[in-house]
Amino acid sequence: MEFINPDVVDLSRFQFALTALYHFMFVPLTLGLTFMLAAMETVYVVTGRQIYRDMAQFWGKLFGINFAIGVATGITMEFEFGTNWSMYSHFFGDMFGTPLAIEGLMAFFMESTFVGLMFFGWDRLSKQAHLAITYLVALGSNLSALWILIANAGMNMPEGAHFDPETMRMQFESFVDLVFNPDAQAKFVHTSVAGYVSAAMFVMGISAFYLLRGQHRQFAARSFRMAALFGIISTVAVITLGDVLGRLDYEKQPTKIAAIEGLWHTSNPPFEPWIVAALPDDARQENHYEIGVPLVLTPLITHTFNQPITGMHELEDEAGPRIRSGIDAVAALRRYGVTHSSMDLAQFTAHEQDMGYGLLATRHAPGQDVTAIPADQIDDVVRATQPDILPNVFVTFWSFRLMVFLSLWFFALFAISAYLSLKRRLERSRLLLKLCMWSIPLPILATEFGWITAEAGRQPWTVFGWLPTFLSASSHGVSYMVFSLIGFVLLYSVFIAAELYLMFKFARLGPEHDSMEPHAPAAPGASAFDMRPMAS
Amino acid sequence: MTKLLRLAGLAVVLVVSLLFAVFVGDQGPWYFAWVIGTVMIILISGAGAIMLDAQSGVSADGEI
Repeated sequence: MEFINPDVVDLSRFQFALTALYHFMFVPLTLGLTFMLAAMETVYVVTGRQIYRDMAQFWGKLFGINFAIGVATGITMEFEFGTNWSMYSHFFGDMFGTPLAIEGLMAFFMESTFVGLMFFGWDRLSKQAHLAITYLVALGSNLSALWILIANAGMNMPEGAHFDPETMRMQFESFVDLVFNPDAQAKFVHTSVAGYVSAAMFVMGISAFYLLRGQHRQFAARSFRMAALFGIISTVAVITLGDVLGRLDYEKQPTKIAAIEGLWHTSNPPFEPWIVAALPDDARQENHYEIGVPLVLTPLITHTFNQPITGMHELEDEAGPRIRSGIDAVAALRRYGVTHSSMDLAQFTAHEQDMGYGLLATRHAPGQDVTAIPADQIDDVVRATQPDILPNVFVTFWSFRLMVFLSLWFFALFAISAYLSLKRRLERSRLLLKLCMWSIPLPILATEFGWITAEAGRQPWTVFGWLPTFLSASSHGVSYMVFSLIGFVLLYSVFIAAELYLMFKFARLGPEHDSMEPHAPAAPGASAFDMRPMAS
Repeated sequence: MTKLLRLAGLAVVLVVSLLFAVFVGDQGPWYFAWVIGTVMIILISGAGAIMLDAQSGVSADGEI
């Protein structure tokens, strides 16, 4: 009996991607805005100037809107692992569940508890105590991301676990290895700091809106200055940390890095060009219309001038023996499940590291059973499975490039903004202010592209090298998946609409208390798209 | 007595920070970099705001 329904797998993937992308629209702002609030409040506590309290309260209100909707969209995802990915949860739950539980118990509870104190404690706590609370909210939200990314790193680079043939699942081995997984470290700092960039652009863009309209000028100037400096350092950091992730992928996930770079054949160091743009053709396994910059790729990825980067064709060739060995592993494991003989166990152990590649061959085996492949057909099955080790090159290639191009745009925008703010020439630069305003959604878009690069590039695995994605899904019916997918789309679209409505409403109203501009008009009915200044 | 307790408290914070730096710096250099980097980003952006306050000629009507 065939047990893999590709439609259900695709729908499960689509549903998870959709809910994760929706959720991730809110996360970066939460991660960064909390630390921006902490920075504003720190200045308030140090200087005692009321305007910084006004800033912390106003931006805190916008943070609150984002936080509430972000939490609502995140909870459903945790349940999705059980409902739609039950095979994955069985196989990897021991490893994945631990950081997820810690995230819920430690970070999420911490964040949620202190966020109430942060909003309602202004007149009930001392300045210092309230500042400490704000820092705890910032820490809690970022720790929340940390544990999620530790769980995700386990999927990308499984460390601190081993496969147990008795329980047929990955067993937790080392908490230290799990927490200090190099992928978790690099991914956390990269993602967290990408959140700082999103928050900085958000604050800078809305401040630019006030400056364009001549409203809340002192409030906006300070917010803009802080955001521009916050943003420029964060952008430099996020680019540097992205390089760390790329280097890790080169060492541990060569298929991902080859797909990111559209590298079908092993590179020729040091002359190999970095492909700026191309149309990767997954079906024909080649690129069309390549535009590249010579001599860049090798030092960019390997940090040397002489190390080659293995291309996708060569990676397919290298996978051949592993697929064959993996088929032996799966067959030995199947026998061991019945016989429990030490001979079968020894045979499985000899091929254990390739088990995932054997499972990958399931789709091409007669009756989706690799133990039923006749000896004379094994070569055909291996050949058919080899291209399956590659992710979708077009998606991985372009999502990475869009993220990189956007980050270069942020670097330029923050650098010019910081310079003009320091020179106090912002109001003369109306074009820059408009660009800042229109760039508000771009960092969130960039983080979405980053997530797509990481997750699409990990395919065809849910647990890299161990469990193929098509074997991870639950066995629901197609109608169930379609129904729940429509439900999620409708519900989350309502959330997005609510968020945008509230954000626009409160951003247009401006700060409720502006100590330096007590009679500033709130511009009732003003449109966020109206660029004409109300006062000069 | 209060001063002594405060001093002792700060000494404990210092020791914990050093232990944290040594352990995390060794085991998780990027986590350590995040802590240091975040503090630096907050301080620099805060310093930028204070600098704006200090810049001469900033008034409600002055150029921003």
